[in-house]
Amino acid sequence: MKSKLHRIYTVFLVSTIALFLSASCVSPPESALPSPIEVIDQLGRTVALDKTPQRIVSLAPSNTEILFALGLSDRVVAVTDYCNYPPEAEAKQTIGGFSTPSIEEIVSLSTDLVLATSRHEAKIIPQLEDRGLNVLALNPETIDGVLEAIILTGMVAGVEERAAELVAGMRQRIESVTDKTDGLPLEQRPATCYVVWHDPLMTAGSGTLQDELIEKAGGLNIARELTDYADISLEAVIAANPEVIIAGAGHGSGADQTFQFAKTEPRLRDTEARRHDRIYAVDVDLTSRPGPRIVEGLEEFAQFIHPELFN
Amino acid sequence: MSFNPVANEPIGAYFSGRRTRLFSILGLSVALVAIVLLATSVGSVHIPILTTFSVLVAKLPLVDIAQTWQGTVETIVLEIRLPRVILAGLVGAALATAGATYQGLFRNPLADPYLIGVAQGASLGAVIGFLLPITWHNLGFSIIPLLAFIGALVATAVVYGLARVGKTVPVTTLILAGVALGALLGSIVSYLIISSGEKMHGIVFWLMGSFSLSQWSEVGIVLPYVATGTVVIIILARMLNVMQLDEEQAQQLGVNVERLKLILLAAATLITAASVSFVGTIGFVGIITPHAVRLIWGADHRFLLPLSVLAGAIFMILADLVARTVLAPTEIPIGVITAICGAPFFLYLLRRRKKAIF
Repeated sequence: MKSKLHRIYTVFLVSTIALFLSASCVSPPESALPSPIEVIDQLGRTVALDKTPQRIVSLAPSNTEILFALGLSDRVVAVTDYCNYPPEAEAKQTIGGFSTPSIEEIVSLSTDLVLATSRHEAKIIPQLEDRGLNVLALNPETIDGVLEAIILTGMVAGVEERAAELVAGMRQRIESVTDKTDGLPLEQRPATCYVVWHDPLMTAGSGTLQDELIEKAGGLNIARELTDYADISLEAVIAANPEVIIAGAGHGSGADQTFQFAKTEPRLRDTEARRHDRIYAVDVDLTSRPGPRIVEGLEEFAQFIHPELFN
Repeated sequence: MSFNPVANEPIGAYFSGRRTRLFSILGLSVALVAIVLLATSVGSVHIPILTTFSVLVAKLPLVDIAQTWQGTVETIVLEIRLPRVILAGLVGAALATAGATYQGLFRNPLADPYLIGVAQGASLGAVIGFLLPITWHNLGFSIIPLLAFIGALVATAVVYGLARVGKTVPVTTLILAGVALGALLGSIVSYLIISSGEKMHGIVFWLMGSFSLSQWSEVGIVLPYVATGTVVIIILARMLNVMQLDEEQAQQLGVNVERLKLILLAAATLITAASVSFVGTIGFVGIITPHAVRLIWGADHRFLLPLSVLAGAIFMILADLVARTVLAPTEIPIGVITAICGAPFFLYLLRRRKKAIF
């Protein structure tokens, strides 16, 4: 049961301790390309490549989004079954699920770089390394972590400038939100509840991307005392009386169940959010995927939480 | 494996003797009411116990108490906690009764309510419900419990049909057919889960079992099944005692063994299926509660069954109370609590007894 649970990528940020700080320490990139590349990835591993990778396999939707945003689509040879963005990614060959990639497939594609995550640390990465494959592990747990992951990928793939541009653009968009929300006093920060899932009721506590998005968008997460994704009781939500409820919704039929729950659950009727009809749905791919679109998630959160500031 | 409860019990149990056990039933009933009140008063949000009582008492007919509490408090007590506590009690009672019935019927201490395919059938039904391209809010009700219920009943009926040998259904064949079909359905469920993509987390959470969103409407649906099934089983308690003899001997004593088997299986399956449909497959209660009751009060089904109803309800309400308060406002999966609390208590009873049971 546990391993199945672990496959849920919305709950995937839990396990490993972030080593992204060390990721910024990069060995001297003085020589010109093509030249040996050496970086320390977000799991603290040293990754050394002889030449710029040309055949890249992504093991996570967020990694795929980063690769495409860096203009590396031609060099991506395979992605996972869950990689649905950008739409071109769906045309790529897949190597299986997020947690269950096929090692055989990866090897058979004469891959020269595998972009993994902390999820693959225990089982998959050692197997890939045993077969002589280069593995770069990304483990962004915060928005800053996402920016670092982009820089790191850019360096390894030899597109530093493109990465720097992308990050600068993202920074600018983030700051245009935080410039307005940073100074907000507590009483101007609406109590906000992010609903990950409705049955059992599950919310995003501190340490999650959604908690950071709420905070940066000028809200106050009612579940900030909890850590990671956590079950929360309905009565605790009612007692916290959120002014804004944001429900994670996905693609496909039935995936907006969580939103429908927030809108229709009779016992939430007296919350401020329901009285003033401030129940919103957000695409979970924008809020739980640590990729370039996290800024879109932030902008949406800002519009939900402070419509008077952002419109 | 076979044993004679009637001969065994006066020495075996702590509280044997007709009067002691009648008093025990009375005592547990009082305890159940007290625990319902306690469980309704406690939750992640602090509400003074007197306020809770006032809210509850004010709803009784002929009582007139001025409302001094907020509407939120009333919502929490009457619409969140009370239906949850009652549903937990119903499910606990149903699983314990079904477990006691199966153990008696199969004369097998390892029998639990999920032995002959109910859990796997319900799981398969529920998973299919999740994967169907229909959303519950369009229909105005959830299709998942309905499919889980149907799945549980169909799976058990198939097991029963497969186990039929001529005009009889030998219990060993029944268990083997149940285990085999359970394994088959279980593997189909596993396959559907891994290929379910983004619906996976909903399915996994359903399978883990939870009372977290219990509502009165669910109580209203589960109650009739559990009440009817339990009453039928308790009425047949004396027959279940006779069944503890050889089936042949029981037959000679004038018991229609096959018909009795069918009625008891149907009743136990129905109450299990109704419970599982709404709260998922919660383990441990169905196997441990009847054993604990047997250790304390003896194996006579006339007492074992009603005591299991009460003990199962009390145990499940307490387990759910622990699940929702220990790490409040976070909730722990109920199955974790039933195992953590149930297993040591049961082992304690087992060690104190220091002789073979069952």
